[in-house]
Amino acid sequence: MSLILLNKIFKIYHVGGEEVRALDGVDLDINENEYLAIMGPSGSGKSTLMNMIGCLDTPTSGVYEFEGEMVQDMNDTQLASIRNRKIGFVFQTFNLLPKVTAQHNVEIPLVYANIRKEKRINMASNALESVGLSDRMYHKPNELSGGQRQRVAIARALVNNPSIILADEPTGNLDSKSGNEIMGILDTLHRKGNTIILVTHENSIAKHAKRVIQLFDGKITEDRNQDF
Amino acid sequence: MLSLFIENLRISLSSVFANKTRSLLTALGIIIGVLSVTLMGTLISGLDRSFENSMSWLGKDILYISRWEWFSDMDWWDVRNRPKMRSEYVNKIMEKSKYALAVAPVMQRGASLSYKGKETLTEIFGTNEEYMETISTDISSGRFFTRSEDRSGSRVTVIGDGIKEAFFGTQDPINQYIKIDNMKFRVIGVLEKQGKFLGLFSVDKQAILPFGAYKRIFSKRGWMRISIKVPEEKLDESIDEISSVMRHIRGLKPSEENDFAINQTKIFEKQYNALKIAIGGTGVFITLLSLIVGGIGIMNIMFVSVKERTREIGVRKAIGATKTMIMWQFLMEAVAICLIAGLIGVFFAYIISIFINKIFPSTLPLGLSIASVLLSMIVGVMSGLIPSYRAANLDPIDSLRYE
Repeated sequence: MSLILLNKIFKIYHVGGEEVRALDGVDLDINENEYLAIMGPSGSGKSTLMNMIGCLDTPTSGVYEFEGEMVQDMNDTQLASIRNRKIGFVFQTFNLLPKVTAQHNVEIPLVYANIRKEKRINMASNALESVGLSDRMYHKPNELSGGQRQRVAIARALVNNPSIILADEPTGNLDSKSGNEIMGILDTLHRKGNTIILVTHENSIAKHAKRVIQLFDGKITEDRNQDF
Repeated sequence: MLSLFIENLRISLSSVFANKTRSLLTALGIIIGVLSVTLMGTLISGLDRSFENSMSWLGKDILYISRWEWFSDMDWWDVRNRPKMRSEYVNKIMEKSKYALAVAPVMQRGASLSYKGKETLTEIFGTNEEYMETISTDISSGRFFTRSEDRSGSRVTVIGDGIKEAFFGTQDPINQYIKIDNMKFRVIGVLEKQGKFLGLFSVDKQAILPFGAYKRIFSKRGWMRISIKVPEEKLDESIDEISSVMRHIRGLKPSEENDFAINQTKIFEKQYNALKIAIGGTGVFITLLSLIVGGIGIMNIMFVSVKERTREIGVRKAIGATKTMIMWQFLMEAVAICLIAGLIGVFFAYIISIFINKIFPSTLPLGLSIASVLLSMIVGVMSGLIPSYRAANLDPIDSLRYE
């Protein structure tokens, strides 16, 4: 069964009277435990597609089914709930809250999911342990290296046991060694059964994925499976 | 939802304390607003208290007849031209009025009192034996003078507690002789301590002499009033009756206006209430003004806070915060600033009220303090509403891109 089903998705902006088709009739079908890379030059619509999949954006027209639920008709609260429970975001710039500890950063999605404190602490510790940061739980982001920060971000994405992990250029702000570590973690998560969607313009990163989608001018131009 | 509330509380407090100077400056308007309203309340409570004391000292059931009308804007010259009060009136009023329970003439002047080389300037009163009924103070030791002592012109005196303190200390003053303007008087009684009238001047330094002796020695003329005790529940009837008795004594024709005044403490109340409204009105005006200014300041700083944390809002939305949750987060921050400001305001008001209390007996009203803290929280909600609404409705994608 499809985890994600996009059917004729259009996202159309009007900029100064001109029509911009950020997504121009995208059809996409993603199954459970896939490892997918979305590639394309800037302006190709890959960010828009990622925002669409991540339920941060709604399509102008088309059908988006997430685990059988119709996303395009959802209101803000329902979208927030999907983002909270089903999707784990990993950003290029980490986007951790600077003033609180790694542990607390990881707990925030659980706060929004209204989970009790003791359980929250437990879940957050487990998530941090799974990314190898059990000795850095009470450090604040500015006391961590870039790679460690991104690992905290992955722990935050993981903590609610989401259906997919959506990583937007996860290694873009990292040196190659830290980048490799992060990709190693994502690979492991995939092996454990998680569904992972990468957005990248780097071939070396896309190589980690099993399936690669090329986007150009809002259209999917290539959809291929690849092996290591 | 409790965990979300705690999280929001934590966020708002850490945000307030992370920008201490900014928060404090922003909160200044609220602090001043709360301070002014609570101090005003303190002042009014103090005034109420001393007014109540003073009124009970004057007595609500006492009428004061004199030439001079209290708080009137009558020309001094017209008052001056009215006929004087005369001691003969006392007996006539007693005879003709059925409401008058006690009638006492009161003459008053300044005099020098001395005892064993100690000297003090004070007010002396000449009155009759019914005077004690027209005041609420009691004799603390000794006795008041009698009708026959008054008639015979005996040189006896009842002194105020202040004079006793000054001249005799802990000694018994009864049957001691003091000099009033170099005339010897025997002390026969001491009035109990009364405190300050309207919190301003002491009435404990006085000496009361029998009318007979007073008139003979000091003055037959001079300013005189007549104090009349009447039944409190028949106040209006009494005023009417005594007014007609006085008109009869004066021989006024129906067409002529009263050439005397019947005063009562009610008129003080009227004046006092006007004063209270003036103080209260000023306080409320200052409070509202500073709360409005403070509220605008809070709103402004909340807009800054929302702007600064645009990216954070984006992240929070991406990981599952709804609009309502974001709204609450910023609303609570605004309320937290105002709550802290309100508490600071009340704290300072409390400190200041302790000092005020030393000069002027008064207390910080608890109800008003709570109300003003609540009011400042309402200001927080009102000024936080628009910025929070704006934060809640930020587009998550734009916010995540915000640098």
